[in-house]
Amino acid sequence: MVNENAGRILGLDYRKIANQTIPYVAAVGAAFLAAGIFIALMGFDALKAYNTILFTSFKTTNGMVQTLLKFVPLVLQALAFTVPFAAGKFNIGGEGQLIVGAIGATGAGIIFSDLPAVLLLPLVILSGALFGAIWAAIPAWLLYRFNMNEILTTVLMNFISFSLIDYVATKVWRDPAAGHPTTIPIGQGGQLPLLISSPPLHAGLLIAIFVAVVIYIYTDKTSAGYELIATGANPKASRVYGINVPRIFILSLVLGGVLAGLSGAIEVSGSHHRLIEGLQSNYLLLGLIIGLIAKGNNLAVPFVALFIAILEVGASAMQRTMMIPGEMVFIVEALILVFVLLSDVVRRR
Amino acid sequence: MDEFGGQFVSFAKLVMLALVPYVLASQGTMLSGRTGIFNVAQEGIMLVGASAGFLGAYYSGSLVVGILVAMVVGGLFGLALAYFTTTLKMDQFVIGLALFFVGLGLSTLLFKIAIGVTLQPPLIPTLDAVPVPGLSKIPVLGDILFNQNWLVYLTVLLSALLYYVMYQTSFGLALRAVGENPKAADSLGVNVTLMRYGAAIVGGMLMGVAGAYLPMVYTGTFTEGIVRGRGWLSIALAFFGGWSPHLIFLGSLFFAGVEVLALRVQVGGGVSIPYQFLLMLPYVATILVMMPALKWVRPPAFLGRNYDREKRTSV
Repeated sequence: MVNENAGRILGLDYRKIANQTIPYVAAVGAAFLAAGIFIALMGFDALKAYNTILFTSFKTTNGMVQTLLKFVPLVLQALAFTVPFAAGKFNIGGEGQLIVGAIGATGAGIIFSDLPAVLLLPLVILSGALFGAIWAAIPAWLLYRFNMNEILTTVLMNFISFSLIDYVATKVWRDPAAGHPTTIPIGQGGQLPLLISSPPLHAGLLIAIFVAVVIYIYTDKTSAGYELIATGANPKASRVYGINVPRIFILSLVLGGVLAGLSGAIEVSGSHHRLIEGLQSNYLLLGLIIGLIAKGNNLAVPFVALFIAILEVGASAMQRTMMIPGEMVFIVEALILVFVLLSDVVRRR
Repeated sequence: MDEFGGQFVSFAKLVMLALVPYVLASQGTMLSGRTGIFNVAQEGIMLVGASAGFLGAYYSGSLVVGILVAMVVGGLFGLALAYFTTTLKMDQFVIGLALFFVGLGLSTLLFKIAIGVTLQPPLIPTLDAVPVPGLSKIPVLGDILFNQNWLVYLTVLLSALLYYVMYQTSFGLALRAVGENPKAADSLGVNVTLMRYGAAIVGGMLMGVAGAYLPMVYTGTFTEGIVRGRGWLSIALAFFGGWSPHLIFLGSLFFAGVEVLALRVQVGGGVSIPYQFLLMLPYVATILVMMPALKWVRPPAFLGRNYDREKRTSV
């Protein structure tokens, strides 16, 4: 139902690439046009708004670093959605998996804070991935055992995680000096090294790029990944061909949890060095939008994620300098998605 | 009345009050689900209903106008869902999520454009209780059931009406048939497309009102976190209630009860459980009750799928 044109376009078929790209460009154009009319009607300067949204990232080093820092959780959240999506399952729980992953990473970083970096850093990162996996394993198990709809259960797990992070940040490892629910910092050794020191850009970027490449190879170039996509395309036929379909469902959801948990660990280890309530931002929603705009194509995900990161950095600049609500950009992103989906319908006819 | 009795009455009254958004949103989910359209945009539609409903009421000075505005906006979302899925045959979950995003973004954007950022949030009056003459004088039950705002009454009546229409009329039979086997329904002359459009639109309207109810009863204003998962929980309710109006109503009572209980214990104190675990309660309880429930309920056979009369097997 989803992957009819999950593109395998790593090659030189330029016509095919053009065929895939043109609808995107048209969708982005249409979304901007619609939003521009709206912005103008509100009495703002639409061209200046566009300029801010699109080019803030490229004007200063700081803008570029902010964009790359946004890109890291976005690409991981998007993959946390697209991997199960390839198997026909919807993981809407990336937010909870991020939060619980961040809790796991923080816990490891605080409990073992005296360990040297060579041990503590991998421990923090892996602990985040593990906790994310556990949080995703619950809906996966409910799906397997009770046939409970995974959209529903993954979302419910998000709401449970909101209370959990509040508990950890106010009761377990609370930093009494902070006004907002925050934990004490993790050990020095658990912090990701910096690629650039000012403005700080941490090495989570490398992890995200590495993971994106691995996931692309896994889903598009290996037989295990092919089982995943075959299951998503036609579970009945896959079962006939001897694929253990329920196992694939569980595996894909748990792998999604690993990716989302990893994004939480990187937020802690790279950006905040502690657990802060609200650190998940709106990464889940943007991740879903990215995954859906990319139509589940894991080669396209990093590029779409970068584009959305640019828009997001532009959005906060626009809100600061022009007083246009940042939600405007969220609507633009949602509209891009709707138009991309519509372009499929147009091409089908 | 002794103290326990008084406690019980005030608890039960709050449950009836909390019941409304659950019932409206989950009956809306059930209605469109019964024709095969699986709406997953509830949270977004309720948010936009809360925002538009608040603004409508704020500027017109009338809560009824606010509710009508929310109804229209919700209906438009339902129409969009029906068009994308039934006419354009797009994936229901993907389009549902896209509409959820649009609703979510639109709700805050509308509020910010209209009101801007203020220190003092603008307020609308909350819905008054309208005692039913005579009935409200019945001891205990009268106060609980017949001394509420009019949407509480409407919600109960709506559930009864839905039960009657779905199980006692030929129209209801046709509606259910569309979600079970559209091909068969089609061959018997049921207009599948019209049924699906109608159910999705009415379902969206109910969700819009469910959203508008929240600022009109609880907060008096719109906030981003106002819906707090009630939209998602209404999907759980539809499954839990076996996609039947009467069971959904009973399930909603349970959900509303858990919500009020969690809030009560939190405010009342005297319990050594950290409040965070009480806040988790509605969501954990939902998962726990669904475990056994899913063994004996069955969703509509065609739920989440699009019907194409020109295909032999419709996917």
